[in-house]
Amino acid sequence: MQMNNLDSLPKKKILSLFMTCGFPTLNYSKKIFNEMLSHQPDIIEFGLPFSDPMADGPIIQEANKLALRSKLSTQHSLNLIKYLSKSKNNTSFVIMCYLNTIRKFGLNKFIKNIKNIVDGIIIVDLPFEEESAIKNSLSKNNIHLIKLISPMTDKKRSQKLLKNSKGFIYYISATGITGSNKLDYKEINKNVKSIKKMSSVPVLVGFGIKSKKDVIDIFKKTNADGVIIGSALIQKYFDLKMDFNKYLKGLKKFIKEVKV
Amino acid sequence: MKTYKQPSSVGRFGEFGGMYVSETLMPLLLNLDKSYKKIQKDKKFKKELNDLFKNYVGRPSSLHYAKNLSKYINGPKVYFKRDELNHTGAHKINNCLGQILLAKKMGKTRIIAETGAGQHGVATATVCALFGLPCYIYMGSKDIERQKPNVFRMKLLGATIIPVESGSKSLKDAMNEALRDWIKNVRDTFYIIGSTAGPHPYPKMVRDFQSVIGKEAREQILKVEKKLPDFLIACVGGGSNAMGLFYPFLNDKKVKIIGVEAAGRGAKTEETAATMTSGTPGILHGSYSYVLQDNDGQIKEAHSISAGLDYPGVGPEHSYLKDIKRVKYYGITDKEALEAFQTCSKLEGIIPALEPSHALAYLIKAFKNKHKNKVVILNLCGRGDKDLFTAAKAIGFDADE
Repeated sequence: MQMNNLDSLPKKKILSLFMTCGFPTLNYSKKIFNEMLSHQPDIIEFGLPFSDPMADGPIIQEANKLALRSKLSTQHSLNLIKYLSKSKNNTSFVIMCYLNTIRKFGLNKFIKNIKNIVDGIIIVDLPFEEESAIKNSLSKNNIHLIKLISPMTDKKRSQKLLKNSKGFIYYISATGITGSNKLDYKEINKNVKSIKKMSSVPVLVGFGIKSKKDVIDIFKKTNADGVIIGSALIQKYFDLKMDFNKYLKGLKKFIKEVKV
Repeated sequence: MKTYKQPSSVGRFGEFGGMYVSETLMPLLLNLDKSYKKIQKDKKFKKELNDLFKNYVGRPSSLHYAKNLSKYINGPKVYFKRDELNHTGAHKINNCLGQILLAKKMGKTRIIAETGAGQHGVATATVCALFGLPCYIYMGSKDIERQKPNVFRMKLLGATIIPVESGSKSLKDAMNEALRDWIKNVRDTFYIIGSTAGPHPYPKMVRDFQSVIGKEAREQILKVEKKLPDFLIACVGGGSNAMGLFYPFLNDKKVKIIGVEAAGRGAKTEETAATMTSGTPGILHGSYSYVLQDNDGQIKEAHSISAGLDYPGVGPEHSYLKDIKRVKYYGITDKEALEAFQTCSKLEGIIPALEPSHALAYLIKAFKNKHKNKVVILNLCGRGDKDLFTAAKAIGFDADE
């Protein structure tokens, strides 16, 4: 079986970049991901568009809407990921999606499409209580099911969730939806420390990281092993009034900045 | 016969239901489930709720023999369970009172809710006024437009209305936004869901609070007819009024049960809200149930003239009852509902909401000249005041004439 890139993540300052597949259109999306890949981030998270992304904020919601409006299908997204995997190198590929997308596509067919290409999956609305069947199928194919821990997850529950965790742990930095609320470094540090006592895989902080300053502060003020940036990458497109060429340049500059 | 015992301890109605939410909400739902289990055994809670039902809502709601309509149909004896007589004009208040008492017990200080027709929004705003809690109502901008009287009611009651512009700008999208609010304000906020939809424990909790409808109806019909009804009929959007009426009768195998969905412009068209007639199982708003979706699992926009039924999902218990064939579900179009809306008004002197007008339409259509000597209970779950403008426009009535 092929190696899983997530098993050889660097020890510190891991950078994970999230982007919605097919945003703003499939062709542009290819260019965006190629740009992202050219910077060789540690992880790229591919968001599969969903009509009702209830755990995402307005920016990712809008990205999903644009992608779906251009008639993007799940198969298109998976083909895009496959195409990009040719220049994958050491970057880990992670899919972030909602359960209904996988269910409707068919779990086995889904796995067949991503096997040896994708290293991990985050299924936003699949809680620990419902995961066992899917987790088994994924692990048989050497794909890690990434765990989310929120500030609401208490110690007892964290212990249960983090048992046998693989890849990395996604710590939701704010009790907010993606791209909202301010960062509370004290709380993040406290919770990251407590997670690290229970698990040996890297802990990445996501939700609400918007700038180079946020990234530096996370690494300075907390024990986190890495950061996840999503909404901020997409926001640029709207800030630049949807001028794609300007956006691609802006994206390049931004990714360089956050690679600290 | 096996006694009906659903859901399972993890919120499964057969294979339907469950909890499909992000980890931010999961601990909260588990906590809610625990608190709900606890208060179910709490005698003080029960007493408090029953007292509010009696003195604030005006329960029990009456069981009215609709003599003129029965004559018109020339079929069964039709009884209306008149939950439209409740304070706030619909069945929604039953559930809101239960949930706000629970919110109080859990120490929550801020209430949010979604609303489609505005009936649940009004009921939530009402109980928030009564208990002195700040209230935020998410409502699709399309629904704000077509349910203006209820928007004003909610504002009078002190609620803040947050218009939702995403998606189809109706109930589904309002629920998305309410869930987002909850994720953001998880510590102090209680989300009063108005239907038997959403993640566990909501479908069970809402059903339990609404089952006062069926319990009363059972007692009332036994008193007047000395027997159980032959049929129950109720409209189904998310399905709370229907579950409320059906639940206490599920073990009575002889009672035939019918749920009526909104077929919009037709169950076979793209403009429908008939989830169980036209949908397939999928996951929406945290539970596994029938939904209107495309081949990729993208949720479709629903359509119904009735804002309260304009929802592409349905409560998981209805999906289960459909699959085990305990309840039969049928679709009624906008046009048919509008006709029944007028027929009921003229014949019984009761202006029904557009939601139960769907149930009425099915009754008139399917029971005409049939089922003589049988007894039907139809849940008249809401009154039509809120729909006057929508109905007038659809019928072509010019109020200035």
